[in-house]
Amino acid sequence: MSGAVDKIEVAGFRHFFQSESGPVQATSIIDLRIQAGEFVTLVGPSGCGKTTLLKAIAGFIKPSEGRIFCNGRPVTGPGRDRGVVFQELAILPWRTVRRNIGHGLDIAGTKPAERDRIVARLIDLVGLRGFEDRYPHELSGGMRQRVAVARTWAADPDVILMDEPFAAVDAMTRLTLQEELARLCATTNKTVFFITHGVEEAVFLGDRVLVMTRRPGRIKAEIAVPRRTPGGRDWESFTADPEMQAICEQVLRLVREERGATLVAGDGASVVPAA
Amino acid sequence: MTDTPRTPARARLGRLVWRLLPFSPILIFGAAWSIYWNVAHPPLAVMPSIANVVGAVIELAQSGSLLTDILASLWRLGLGALLGIAMGVAAGFVTGLNKPLATFLNPLLVFFNAISGIVWLPLMIGWVGIGTGLAVFLIWNSVFFIVFQNTVLGVQLVPEVLEQSVRTLGAGRWETIRSVTFPGALPYILNGVRSGLGFGWRALIAAELVGATTGLGQMIFRAADFSRTDIIVAGCLIIGMIAMAMDRWLLLPIERRTVQRWGMVARSEGGRPG
Repeated sequence: MSGAVDKIEVAGFRHFFQSESGPVQATSIIDLRIQAGEFVTLVGPSGCGKTTLLKAIAGFIKPSEGRIFCNGRPVTGPGRDRGVVFQELAILPWRTVRRNIGHGLDIAGTKPAERDRIVARLIDLVGLRGFEDRYPHELSGGMRQRVAVARTWAADPDVILMDEPFAAVDAMTRLTLQEELARLCATTNKTVFFITHGVEEAVFLGDRVLVMTRRPGRIKAEIAVPRRTPGGRDWESFTADPEMQAICEQVLRLVREERGATLVAGDGASVVPAA
Repeated sequence: MTDTPRTPARARLGRLVWRLLPFSPILIFGAAWSIYWNVAHPPLAVMPSIANVVGAVIELAQSGSLLTDILASLWRLGLGALLGIAMGVAAGFVTGLNKPLATFLNPLLVFFNAISGIVWLPLMIGWVGIGTGLAVFLIWNSVFFIVFQNTVLGVQLVPEVLEQSVRTLGAGRWETIRSVTFPGALPYILNGVRSGLGFGWRALIAAELVGATTGLGQMIFRAADFSRTDIIVAGCLIIGMIAMAMDRWLLLPIERRTVQRWGMVARSEGGRPG
């Protein structure tokens, strides 16, 4: 694309896990390119290998086949160019909100004054003002995930990888966190790769939605979502927009096909015929 | 926060009750002892009264031998425990971070754990002779293995996702150990130190019974020759009280400032966190 290097390039990726009964194929061959400033969401049935793909991009697992590049450089392990927001609680219980968010900056050797300025801005952006000196166990689940998001943003990575980051919070909080994330991305213009099994979440957040097949997963469809104005990133206008609803239905159909296929292929014997 | 609003005075009373609660078993025990002694009047060679014990403490304190014995015991315990804790934590980290090494060392650990410290006594008397070295070795031997095992466990139980998340922030191996593994393992390390100190006291007294000329263990041993149960009981009480004081004023403050503050263990007193 106009000679620019892709932020992330996945070429011919395929992965197998070792199990006691031999290798298990986690994914089929996957090719993927993410450009600077894009928000790409990946939606697929559970167990399809989407977390495996994300972990490989993060550098936590070595691909069985294929190559992964970040900014044109091959990925050999985790690094600060690829920030990760995990599904489960991954902020440090022994650091306050402020010290968790500033951790990446401390590691990078940022000057304290500069660090405090960046941390204060992010605390404002994710709505944690007044909680700077609290420890994670004193916060709600939603607030902890806000800290996790802000910590990754503060380290200023090239790409941010998010693995179902809002799966563990309650439904109402999730809506707020999704809106905040959309606003945060619009403000900071970050490149994000976001994994979910929520169809509406994928369409609401993504500029581009990728749909994966069941295990061993491959990317079976790619749906572009028209750019929304930064101000229009809220659930009320999203659900009222017929164009967005049409895209949701399209993605839902693609995902449901996979569920149906799983039922027939894997659980065929237990399906009760309609009377 | 409790459901019913409380007046400051009642809250203060509540805190006072909480603070006195740990002392009440001691009072109950003392009362039961006094009642029994006043009813049964056993001879001193069998059981002393509280007054006998207090008298013995005063007598020993005035002669100066009590202070000498306490300091001798504390010096041995401090040296042995410090060596045991430092080496146990260091070795525990190396082993906990290295799975093949942990697997390799496991049978050895079970082997040495089964051999209680006292068994080493006859051998060690031949090797290092009678004196501080013997006591320090026996204390080290009890503290090291407990701290080591707890540290290994603590290091291995730190959630992997915490280490991974910090590595994506750019942390290298050393920064990961410093900011994730050590605080993550701290509840287990402190638990190991607490048990280790308990076993360290037992080893100390056992070592002093046989291989020392001073110390609380030796004081008790000498008293046994003269059937001075008042001194024996006084010695036991002093050991127990020093151990309690160390726990309360050394270990608890560390716990309160770290693992309790971080919400990793339940608070031991003063109501529940909000």
